[in-house]
Amino acid sequence: MNARETAWRVFAAELNSSSLEIKASEEKMPSYVVSPLGAKMNRVLIAGAMSEKENIGTDDEPLWKARIQDVNGMFYINVGRFQPEASAAMADLETPCFVAAVGRVRTYTADDGRVYISVRPEHIIQIDEATRKEWLLETSKSTWRRLKYAKTAMGMADAKVADLIGLGMTPQEAEGLLYALDNYGEMPDSSLYLKTIQNALRTLLPERDVDFGFPEGADDGPDEIDIDGGGSDEHSHGQMEEIILSLLEELDTDGKGAPREELERRAEAEGISGIELEEISNILMDKGLVYEPNLRYLKRI
Amino acid sequence: MSRGVFGDLPNPVKYDGDDGITPSERGEVDAMEGNELTPHIQEMKRVLGDKIDEEQLAAELDKYLNDYHVNIESAKRGIIRKYGGADASSFATSATVVKKIADLSGSEQNVDVLAKVVYVESKNITVKGLNKTIVSGILGDETGTASFTLWESGSVMLDKGSVYYFRNCYCKLWNERVQINLGNRGRVEPAPNVSLNVPDRSITLSSQECKIGDIREGMGNVTVTGKVLTTEARKINVKGEEKMVYSGLMADDTGKIQYSAWHDFGLKAGETICAKNAYIRAWKGIPQLNMGDRCEISRVDAVFDIQEGGDSKKTVGDIARIGGGLDITLEGLVVDMKNGSGLIKRCPQCNRSILNGVCTAHGQVDGIPDLRLKVVLDDGTGAIGAVINRADTEKLTGISLKAAEGLAAARGEGIVAREMMGRILMRRITITGNVMSDDFGPSMIVRSAAPVEVDLESEAEKLLEEVEAAL
Repeated sequence: MNARETAWRVFAAELNSSSLEIKASEEKMPSYVVSPLGAKMNRVLIAGAMSEKENIGTDDEPLWKARIQDVNGMFYINVGRFQPEASAAMADLETPCFVAAVGRVRTYTADDGRVYISVRPEHIIQIDEATRKEWLLETSKSTWRRLKYAKTAMGMADAKVADLIGLGMTPQEAEGLLYALDNYGEMPDSSLYLKTIQNALRTLLPERDVDFGFPEGADDGPDEIDIDGGGSDEHSHGQMEEIILSLLEELDTDGKGAPREELERRAEAEGISGIELEEISNILMDKGLVYEPNLRYLKRI
Repeated sequence: MSRGVFGDLPNPVKYDGDDGITPSERGEVDAMEGNELTPHIQEMKRVLGDKIDEEQLAAELDKYLNDYHVNIESAKRGIIRKYGGADASSFATSATVVKKIADLSGSEQNVDVLAKVVYVESKNITVKGLNKTIVSGILGDETGTASFTLWESGSVMLDKGSVYYFRNCYCKLWNERVQINLGNRGRVEPAPNVSLNVPDRSITLSSQECKIGDIREGMGNVTVTGKVLTTEARKINVKGEEKMVYSGLMADDTGKIQYSAWHDFGLKAGETICAKNAYIRAWKGIPQLNMGDRCEISRVDAVFDIQEGGDSKKTVGDIARIGGGLDITLEGLVVDMKNGSGLIKRCPQCNRSILNGVCTAHGQVDGIPDLRLKVVLDDGTGAIGAVINRADTEKLTGISLKAAEGLAAARGEGIVAREMMGRILMRRITITGNVMSDDFGPSMIVRSAAPVEVDLESEAEKLLEEVEAAL
C-alpha cells in the first residue's frame, strides 16, 4: 500500500538531534530520518516564527532558504522549483511571521560525518498566533508521548515491536523506537526534549510558573551536537554576549550591520567558535537586542 | 536476468549477451564451445526428451549464441519454449518451489501451491479504466488457509471443494496475512486424484467474540452483539436463482457496521442480537458482517450506549489497522489540498465531475457548477484523503458557490481553489463519513465536516500535570 506518509509533529530540537537514516533500498520506497526518540520521519509538520528568508536562486527560478524558530530551536527550510505551491507562497511571506509548513525531511552529511537536517515544504502558510500555539501543544504532547515510550522501552529487556504495540504504540512508532534504541548506541538525552516541552508550556501558560529545572534560552544551535549544561555555562554565555555586542557595534561601519563573515572571524579570534556564535546570536535575537537585516548581516538594535 | 531458472547450473561460457565482446574474444569462445556447451545441451535434452535430437539442439544453440548473440540462459529458455510445445511452461514451473500454505512467507515471487478451493467468487473490477473479471477466494491445505486472487481469470472455472495445482504464483502480505496471487504467468491445473484435508479450524477460524469497532478485514468468523438499527429485504440473483437477502446497519458502543443476513432470521430494527459464527467480508476495506448458513442469532438484553448518530471517533492510525468502516469520525489538520478542489462542474446526468465540459460517460454536456474539497487530513498517527461536499466546503472556507462563481468570473477559474487552499491548509477540522482503503491508502467520503476549536489552556494544563507527575 502506498499510503501517504504521516506528518510527524516534532520540535526543531528533536529533528536536529537526529542523525540516523533509513535510506530507500528500492525505487518508490520512502526514506526516513529516525530521531533519538524514535520518530521515523519522512514528512514533518512544523510551525514557528519565520525569522529570515532569502532567495539564493534567480527571480525566474527561485530557491528559497529560510529559518523558522519554534521554541528553542531552529528549522531550516529549502523551497525550490519542485515545490511550486510553497515557492509561490514564500515569495509573498514577509518576515517575521508565524508560519506552518508540511514537507519532507532532507539530510546532508558533512565531511566530518555530522548530519544536517532541513525540511523541504510542500506547503507553507502564514498562521495566527493561536494556530501556532495549537502546534506547540500538539507537538509537546507528541514529544512527551515519545519520551514516555522511549523510557518504558529502555526499561524492558529485549523489547519487540509486538510488545510495544501491546503497550499502545502504533506499529510505526514501535518500529521507529526500536530502530533508534538499537542504532544510536546511546540513550536519548531526555533533558533536551523535556526542556523544549517546558519552554512550549511556558508560552502556552504564561501565568503558570512552568519549571522542569531547565534554563530558558535558545541553545539548540543547528549544528550543535553536544550541549554544555551547568551553571558555568550561563556565566560564559553572558560574557560572550557582551563580546558579540561590542563586536557588532565595531563592525557596523556603514549602518547595514556587521557582515557575518567578518563577525565570525573576529569572534573566533576572541575564542568564540562558529557554533557558539550562532547560539549567542540566537539568544540575542530572542532578547530583542539584535536582528538580521538579511542573512549575511547582524545588527544591534 | 533469468538466473532463477538456471541459477544452480555451471555456466562456463563467457556469453553475457551481445555486450562488447570483441571478435577475437568471440573466436576464442567459438573454438571452445564444443565441450563448454555440452552441459547446457544435456540440460535441455533432459527437459525436452526426444522432441529434438542432440545435433539439432547444438545447431539451434549455435544459432542463438553466434548468429543472434543471445546470452546462454535466454537461449536455453528460447529453445525449450520453441520445442517444448505444451510443456514449455511446465519447464518454467520446474524451477519453482512447491510450498505448503503455512510455509508461505508472503514474499515468494514464483511458487507452486497444491490446494483445495475453500471459497471462490468472481468480481468485476476496474483497472486503468477497463473492466476486468478476477476470481478470488480462499485456498486451503493441511497446514492452513490463505486468500487468493486470479488476476487473469480467462476461462478458468474453479469449483469450491476441488483440489488444484496453482502454478507460478506470487505472494504478498496484507494485514500480516499471506495472499496468493496468480498473474499472467500463473496457471491452474486440476488435481482430481488428490484429496486434501483442510483442517476445520482453519476454515472456521474459531469464532472470536468482538466489538464492532474492532472488526477489520480478514478476520474470518466472529461473534458480535449489537443493536439492529435498520433492516431491509432485497431480492438478489445468485447464479440464476432468486434469493432474499436481509441487510441493514447494526451498532454497539464502539461502532457501526453493515450486515447481510442470507436467511430470514426475522431481524427487527431496535432489537439487540448476538450473532454467533457470523463472518466478515470487506468491500473496499469496509468490513461487512455476514450471517450465513452457520450463523446463530439470539436475542439479548444488553443495552448499548450508542453515540448520537452512531459515529465512532477514531485516529487515522486505527484506520490503517481496520481498513475502513461506516460513520467514522476523525480529527486532524488539513495538510494538503488536491487537484479537483474548488469550483467544479458536474454532469447533469450522472453527477460525475467533468473536465472541460466533457463527461467521460456522456460526452459534451452542460455542466452544473458545484464546490468540493479534496484534502489530506493528518492527525499525527497517519494521513487520509477526504472528499468534502459543497455545504461543508462553504462552511469551512466561508466561500459560497455564488461567491466562487463571481470570483472565477472576475479573476479566472484557478483563483477559487487557491483562495480556498489559503483558508483550509493547516486548519484543524473534524470529519465524519465512510472510510475505505485501496492501494493509495485510506480515504473518506465526508458526510459532515466542521472546524475544531482547541481549548489550549486546559489541554496545556493537562499535559503540564502529567509531565510534572512523571518527573
